[in-house]
Amino acid sequence: MTQSTSTSAAKAQVSDPELDRVFQALSHPGRRLILDVLAEQPGANVSEVCGFFDTSRIAVMKHLRVLEAAGLVISKKEGRERKLYFNVIPIQTIYDRWTTHYSSLWASRLTGLKYRIEAGEIYGPPSDSEEKP
Amino acid sequence: MSETTTAVFRIHIESTLETVWRELTRADGRPLPAFFNGVCDCGPGGMKVGAPLRIRTANGKYTSVVGEVTEFEPPTRYAHTFRFTQYDDPECTMVYELAEKDGGVELTLTALGVPAGTKTAGQIQRGGKMIVATLKRVVETGRPSFGTRLLYVLFKVLEPLTPSRLKSENWP
Repeated sequence: MTQSTSTSAAKAQVSDPELDRVFQALSHPGRRLILDVLAEQPGANVSEVCGFFDTSRIAVMKHLRVLEAAGLVISKKEGRERKLYFNVIPIQTIYDRWTTHYSSLWASRLTGLKYRIEAGEIYGPPSDSEEKP
Repeated sequence: MSETTTAVFRIHIESTLETVWRELTRADGRPLPAFFNGVCDCGPGGMKVGAPLRIRTANGKYTSVVGEVTEFEPPTRYAHTFRFTQYDDPECTMVYELAEKDGGVELTLTALGVPAGTKTAGQIQRGGKMIVATLKRVVETGRPSFGTRLLYVLFKVLEPLTPSRLKSENWP
């Protein structure tokens, strides 16, 4: 199979084992929720993250380790505390691999439309006197 | 004091510490593809602790970022204060850390003391990932992606529309 240089260059950016770890880490609803928490509260510590879950601290720590191994969570020692941060880069590299400069523009218009409609911003068909929303 | 936040971006680069360090800290008057094709101006003394840091357009006409180098430890750590000339937001700090890992380099960019909820914070969130991803691309393949190159052509075309506040004479 022949590949264009730009395709092979894009694919070379992340190895398959690396990608496997990212997808595996993202394949659990609890771990996805941890990422939501950290994106919202950068620098939260383990106890603060545990506060969002009914499961044991040990279970949360296990999920954090999976997320860390995938590069999605970065833990930094700051003074006596260990703080956790969401790292967007693994997701960005997935995005970069399958989107182009053009498709990203149109795709984000479509997802934007979906989010607006589903958030209840629904308008009836415009009448002649009405301004377009 | 208003609230601040931290953003962290980490990427693995298939290269050597020296190569990544050189591209990251280049202040030689040539554009830096990883930094929105800007030129890093640290004055005649070059990059060292205490030196001013300015990100200017290639022709030197406009300045988008101003700060001061606060840490400079080749080839693993470099930090500078940071402020967009476009906004009145308080300054924050950018820390770059390099470490050898798995036969390559792990680059971590940490933005500290980012004024929460400001335009600066939004730009750093978008810009941070672009900086580390483009740096990886440039070091590994020799040039930015097609999309990024296209964006830089657009920057060049739109340069005459830059607000006059960004003129370099305002930011020596």
